[in-house]
Order: sequence, then structure tokens, then C-alpha cells
Amino acid sequence: MTPRSTWHPWAMLGPTLALLSVFFLLPIGVAAYESLFSWDMLTPPRYVGTANYAALAAHGELLRVALRTLGYSVLVVAGTMTLGLGLALLLDRPGRFFGFVRASVFSAYVVSWVAVALLWMWILDGNSGAVGGLTRWLGLGTVSLLGDPRWALPALAVVAVWKLTGYAMIVFLAGLQGVPRSLLEAAALDGAGPWARFRHVTMPLLAPTASFVATTSLVTSFQAFDVVRIMTQGGPARATELFVYAIYEQIFLNLSVGRASALTVVFFVLLLAVAGLQLRVWRARAGASR
Amino acid sequence: MRESKSRHAVILALACVAAVAWLLPYAWMVATSFKTLPEIVAHPGAPLPEHVDTGAYREVFATLPVARYMGITAFMAGTIAFAQIALALPAGYALAKLRFVGRGFAFGTVLACLLVPAQATFVPVFLLFAKAHVVNTMTALVLPFAASALGTFLVRQALVSVPDEMIEAARMDGAGELTIVYRVLAPMLKPTLVSLFLVSFVFHYNDYFWPLVMTTDDHVRTLPLGVALLREQGTGVRWHIVMAGNVVLSLPVLALFAMAQKHLVRAVSARS
Amino acid sequence: MYRHDVLARRDLLRACASSLALAPLATAACGHRTRPEHRDGRVVVTFWYAYGDLVRKVMLDLVARFNASQTRVFVEAVHQGDYYECLAKLRTALAAGAAPTLSHVVCEIIPYLARAGVLEDLGGYEGARLLPFVPALEQRGTFAHGDAEPLVSIPFNRSTPIAFFNARMLDEAHLAPPRTWDELLDAARALTRRAANGEVRWGFEVPIQGWYWLAMVGQAGGRLVEPDGRVSLGGDAGEKALRLWQRMVREEHVMRPPPGRDYQAWQSSNESFLGGHIAMMWSSTAHVRYLEDNAHFPVVTAPLPRDVRASVPTGGTMFVVMRAAPDEEKQAAWEFVRWMCDAEQTIAWSTRTGYMPVTRPAVERLVERGWYTKHPNDRVAYDQLAAVEPWPWSPDLFRVERDVVEPRLEEGVLEGRDAHVLMDEARDEARRPA
Repeated sequence: MTPRSTWHPWAMLGPTLALLSVFFLLPIGVAAYESLFSWDMLTPPRYVGTANYAALAAHGELLRVALRTLGYSVLVVAGTMTLGLGLALLLDRPGRFFGFVRASVFSAYVVSWVAVALLWMWILDGNSGAVGGLTRWLGLGTVSLLGDPRWALPALAVVAVWKLTGYAMIVFLAGLQGVPRSLLEAAALDGAGPWARFRHVTMPLLAPTASFVATTSLVTSFQAFDVVRIMTQGGPARATELFVYAIYEQIFLNLSVGRASALTVVFFVLLLAVAGLQLRVWRARAGASR
Repeated sequence: MRESKSRHAVILALACVAAVAWLLPYAWMVATSFKTLPEIVAHPGAPLPEHVDTGAYREVFATLPVARYMGITAFMAGTIAFAQIALALPAGYALAKLRFVGRGFAFGTVLACLLVPAQATFVPVFLLFAKAHVVNTMTALVLPFAASALGTFLVRQALVSVPDEMIEAARMDGAGELTIVYRVLAPMLKPTLVSLFLVSFVFHYNDYFWPLVMTTDDHVRTLPLGVALLREQGTGVRWHIVMAGNVVLSLPVLALFAMAQKHLVRAVSARS
Repeated sequence: MYRHDVLARRDLLRACASSLALAPLATAACGHRTRPEHRDGRVVVTFWYAYGDLVRKVMLDLVARFNASQTRVFVEAVHQGDYYECLAKLRTALAAGAAPTLSHVVCEIIPYLARAGVLEDLGGYEGARLLPFVPALEQRGTFAHGDAEPLVSIPFNRSTPIAFFNARMLDEAHLAPPRTWDELLDAARALTRRAANGEVRWGFEVPIQGWYWLAMVGQAGGRLVEPDGRVSLGGDAGEKALRLWQRMVREEHVMRPPPGRDYQAWQSSNESFLGGHIAMMWSSTAHVRYLEDNAHFPVVTAPLPRDVRASVPTGGTMFVVMRAAPDEEKQAAWEFVRWMCDAEQTIAWSTRTGYMPVTRPAVERLVERGWYTKHPNDRVAYDQLAAVEPWPWSPDLFRVERDVVEPRLEEGVLEGRDAHVLMDEARDEARRPA
């Protein structure tokens, strides 16, 4: 349809485009610019070129942060997709009971990260938490997962999976609605068992849904901050220092705007790359299976 | 395809396990909130409190101005959700229904913003707000989210399927463009808009990161920040108080969820 | 019909949009203060503080008492989390032009803030130079050459690290509080018990943080910054201190590092101590009252052990006033600070928490009243002042301690990396400009 005046569309899009540009697109450019300076906001800024990037890359710290974030994201995505799909298949039945269970699982997605993080900090506490009690009962002594550099990050991933599975489950449930019963029944008549039906009928049809869940879960878990800030504050020994938390620490605790901006730029580039790669892989898979 | 009895039993059992896995932590949280500190230190593993003690809740309400924080948080979340809908409607309409030069570019801009998280923008935005002396005000909390790339995208998708004839008829009746958007099309999109509003409201109500970064004191502190502060006490951890704070924080959202479950679920599944 | 509506509605919408945009901006004026804030005819002093629990109650009590005792000034106390959180918010608020008038900060950050020019020089304020502080606790005793710098900090809640003991466990093992590193190691061995179900009662626990490590560096004869200005991070002493921890945690398994960073670790230690999971703990004298009141066993404190000498850093915080605040508010803030330094207030503060009384008259009065005979645990920190090592006045101090040294201490203790390599890396990074 043609607009009534040429300025109509721009008037309607104006506020939205202005706000989005100022608060989402422009900041990336500003971050790239600020990353070339050393500035603590209290004294005048100093041009340092790529020194911030060099400092971050020194001793391999930047690489470690990137790997940690990637590792965490992979764990969370794998966990939520597997559990989400499993729960969707399990609970895709009528009745109040199944509706109640679905609601319980999804409710974790709805509450605040603050609530979830504080709750699990309590549960995982070595001294007085449920997990500590369990390990003592099992004869393993007092175990403090959040205080062990090897287990802290996986522990955070488990908490994230607990919170985010509900989302994956709901999306898969919607995807399952799109699988025609007739196809499943035809396959059953052909003698296919439940597993075969799943593999050859359901899974291919779910591929786009799975791709969607994988990409959005990946992007979400790449941005993890709340869970780190509340549960481990980046420790122990930097084991849980994920990208966004590192940016936060650089600017609010070290007051180093340049380093924080440099980290932001790297973070954004990495996010784009990973999301893009993920999409391409899934699309190729979906294409190949047809 | 009828399931055998044993298979059904297994499924029921697994469903129960799932329910327990997701409900038990909450139950633990509520139980802890009714305990006392000596009880927690002495018997940390006890599932139920010896007596129901509301001391933790009294301490939470004494330490935090709960009503005030909740009011601020609800106002902020409501304003954001409302603004997002108000802006997404005309923008989505323009992208869906109007043909104009630069439409592809505008749509591309909106899509591009879907990939940019708040965590990537907070440093420059904070600096911008600092220069404008707007840090620690409601503006800093609301303005960056007043436009929603996702909302615009969803409204556009929903409007694409609306027949052009309806809009042309309204035009011939003499209706202005904005009237068409807000009085003709919006009611047709009610389910989508309600879901969008709820999801946005819940997301921003729960938001910890942005208020943490954009506020410096009590002035516009939100409830998640306040409850998180309960943890940082400096002498000894008081789990019962932290859990009581958690309950206070989560109850409104869970109540909203119970009442509006359908809409929230629809919003999540509609995106696929 | 529609045309009228369209015009009216469009105007209405435009009006709504512009008011939505402007209204919050109007409140933006609150972010930047040029005139002093008044309430009921009193000057309002915003005071950002960083305690919780018991200490917070005492603080709010004193603030209420001050507000009730006069009608010129109203102190508005705002809670900001723990020291680091409060400091982070303070610095960003300074950068954003939204800083409070008064706050309190850890000693390590004061040289940095002073160099950035954000702290008010209090030397010229009424009575500033005459306050009878305990020398080791005021700026000139806290920092090496602290008197050569402008007076920007006034002692508030001051502490030293001390050793806490579960007296019952000590008695059972027939041990006295260890006085040297060797005795500490022996005591930790003797006090560690392993139960059949795998549960361990640890002999010793201390947060793996710069403050305690620095105490040990001093005890081993080293210092952070050499007299010629070179940042040595204790040299050999620094490595020796880290190695002791590594030995106790990784080889002898008699010490447990508490989980969590910053004050999370302190809370965790306190909790473990109260729960009877550890026998000996190093913590701040600030927790004396809290631990005594909440323990089911007698709590005994003692000075930290010595290696070649006794040494402790001071801790806690100092009052600081922001230069950017309006003059009237700064004067009002000074009134409050002076009032807090009066003997009666500093006595109330220290007896109710465990922090040290900061003025000499206050200490004398407490001795007269026999307080220390009734509460010997309170005396330990004060007596330890004889062994205090002043902080270097270095703007990099905070960054080096928290960002350069502490993560490496954690790596050394939790992951077992070589102490020498770690300290070399730390020295490297400390010398690099921020």
C-alpha cells in the first residue's frame, strides 16, 4: 500500500529507529572508539591505540575469558535443548497433571535471575546447603562446588539449565504441534516403533524449531551476568569470569573505560560470529535432511 | 496409538521427577524463610522449620523499603512495556503495509538490533547518560528500552497477514493513519499485544543488570537489586533472610504467571 | 467525522509523547546538585555506607542519635552493599556528577581518589588538626609519609586482622594460641579431624585475600613497595607467604580456603567458625562482638603469629568528603564526622562491634571503666597496633592488591601454580601502567 504522504512512514518509524540507533547501534561504534583510549572517568582520557587489546590479550587472559564463555554456553545450550526436548515429548499430553508439571518447569524461566541465583547459592552451599548435606550423607564429606575452580563453572551451567529448560520445552511443544498426527500414524502402521517414529518423522520436522532454540539459547547464555555476579563474582581464581562480568568489573571496579570498551568490541564480534555460525550449521543440517 | 499401562506408569513417574526437580527448590526456599539463624547453623539439612518463624520476613521489611522498591520496579516495567507497544504498532505497520523507499534499510536496522544485547551497549550508554547527568534516574532505566526491536518485528509479522482491503476501507472512511493503527489494527492484534506486554513487563521487572549499572543509590533502586543486597551483609550469611527476600521478590511474578500463563506461553512459542 | 478526531488524536498523541520524553528529563535535574539540599530547614548530608547486619544497626543508631541531638544538620544514610560495591558506586557516581557528600572507603583506595582530585582537603576545617587520634589509625600513621599529603581522610571503623579460636577445641587439644608460623602449622595439624563419613573439621581457615597475605609478607620481613619506590610485592617474603598457604592447603590438608570472593569469603568463614567446622580462623577484629554473641562455645582471640617479626596492616575504612559537594553540605558533613570522633560515640561504636576506638581519650576511658578486663578479645587488635605496617601512599595500591595480586593468590592456592612464577607475573603486571 502506498502511504498517504511520503513522510508518514518515517514519522511512524522515527521514534523507534532513533531510539534503537542511539541505544543499540551507536554504542557499538562508541565502544570501538573508546577502546583506543585509557580513561578512568575522573581524569582526562589518554590515547593509547591498541594497547588495551594488547593488555587484555597478555598472559592469554582474553582467550581464556572467551573460551570460558563459549564452554559455558555450549553446556547450557546442550543441556536445555536435550532436557527441553525430552520434557516436551514427555509432557505433551492432555490433562491437569501434565499441565501442572509443564507450568512448574516453565515457572523457573519466569522468575528473576536474582531469585534463582540466591536460591541455588543456598542449595549448593557446602556447609548449610542441601547439596552439602547430601554429600555428607553419602560419605563424601563437605563439598563446596562454588569454591572449587574446576566445578564452579559447570555448577553455574547447571543452574542456568534449570532456569532455561522451561523456555526450550515450551518452544519444542509448539513445534511438536506442527507435526501432523497423520504422518505419525502412517509410520506406526508401517511398523515403526516410537524411537523410529521420533527419528524419522518428528526430528526432521522439528529441525527449524531446534535451530531457533539453539540460537536464542546460545545468544542468551553468551550474555550471562546475573548468575556470576550473585553466585561467584567471577571467582574462584577467575574460573567463572565470563565476558559480560569481565566487562562489568573493568568499568565499575577498575574504572578502566578503555579496557571495558575493548572487551565489549571483542564480545560483540564473537557473539555475531558464533550466532552466525550456529545458524549456518543448523540451516545446512535442515537443508540436508530434506 | 495406545500406550501400554507400564509405559504410562513410567511416563507418570518421570513427570513426577520433573515436577519435583523444579518445585523442590522453591519448597526449600519457602521452608528456609521460616527458620531462624541458630536452626540453620545447627541443622542445615532439616527440610521443615521447627516452628514457623516470621522473623526473617520482619527483617526483610525492616531492612528494605519493599513497597517503595516494588512500586518503582512495577512503574518502570509498566512504562517500558507500554512504550514498547505504543511505538511498535506504528513502526510495525509502516514496515508491514506501507511501500516506501528505504523500507528494506529500516527493516534491516530493526533486525540488526535483535542481535545486540544490553550487555554490549551498557558502557557507552552509561557514559552518554553520565554526560547528560541522567544516571540514577528513571529516564536511564526506561528510555533505552522504550523501543523494542523484537516487538516491532512481531507486530510487523502479525500485520503482514491483515488484508489490505480493511485498511483501504478505513482510509476511505476518512481515518488518519494513526487512528487506523491504534483504533483499527491494534484491537485485532490484542492477543499478540497482551503477550508482548506481559513478557516485556516480566522481563524488565526481573531485570537485575541494567538497574545495577544505571543506578548509584536508593533513589530509583528496583526490588531485584534490593533483594540481592540482602546477600551482601558482611558479617555472617543469613540464609533465612535472603530466602525471605527471594519469596517477596518472586511472589508477584509467580502470581502474574499463574493468572496469565496462557499469554506468556503464547508469546514465547509465537516467536518460533 | 474522523477528520476532527484525527487532528485531535494526533495532537494528543504528540503531546503525550513529548511529555513522556520530557517528564523524566525534568527529574534528571536531581542527578546534578549545585545547591545544598535542605529539609525542614536543616542541611541534608547524604552519607553512603557499606555495612549490613549488626554493624549497620549500630551505624543507623548513631546517625539517628546525631540527627536527634541538633537541628542544623540531617544525615541521610544510604546503604550500598559491601565496601567494594559501595566504592564502585561512589566512583561511578563521581564520574556521573551524582556523588554523595560523605562516604567511607578502604584505606587502599584513598591515594587514588586523592590524586584524582575528588576528595575535600579537611586540613583547614575546624579542629581537624587537633583531634586526638591514635597515631597508627589516622592518616599520617596509616600511610607511609601520610602527613606529607593533604588531610583527606578521617578514621572511622578501623581494624587489624586477628586470630580467632574455638576455645573448646584448643583446650581439648591442650594447645595455646600459636605465636609463630611453625606453631601455627603444628596447631593446624593437631586440630584437624577427619570423621569416618568424610567430613573434616579444619584446623585453620582464612580468606585468600590481599589483606591477610600482606600481613604474612610483613611477618616474613618483606614490604609491598621498597623505600626506593620499586614495587617488589614483598620479594622473597611474598613468595614465602603464598607458599605457606599452599603447603597448608595442598600438601598438609589442614587449611581450607573459604569459597566466594571479597566479603562473601569472610561471611563464609564466619559461618564455618560458628558452625564448629573450623578451629582457628583469621578475620577482622570487626567481627569480635558478632562471633562472641552467636557462638555456642567460648571465643578466644590472639595476635597474628610472627615469622621473623610481628606485622599487621590496618583495615576498615576512613571517612571521606567529596570535593564536588556544595560548601554548606561539606561543613555539615564535617560536623557529623567530628561528632563521630567524640569519645562517647567512638566508644559506643567500638564496644558494640569490635572495631578499635580511634581516639586516645576513648581508649583511656575504656581502660578506666575496666572494659578490657571484661572483654579481653577487644584488646588484641589495639595491642597489635605496635606491629602495624603502614600502607604505601600509592595511587596504584588498590588496583595492584585486588586485580593483580589476589587472583594470583587464588591461583596459587586453588590450582597449585608455582609461587615464584605467580609473583613474577604479578610484579610484571603491577609495573605496567593502568
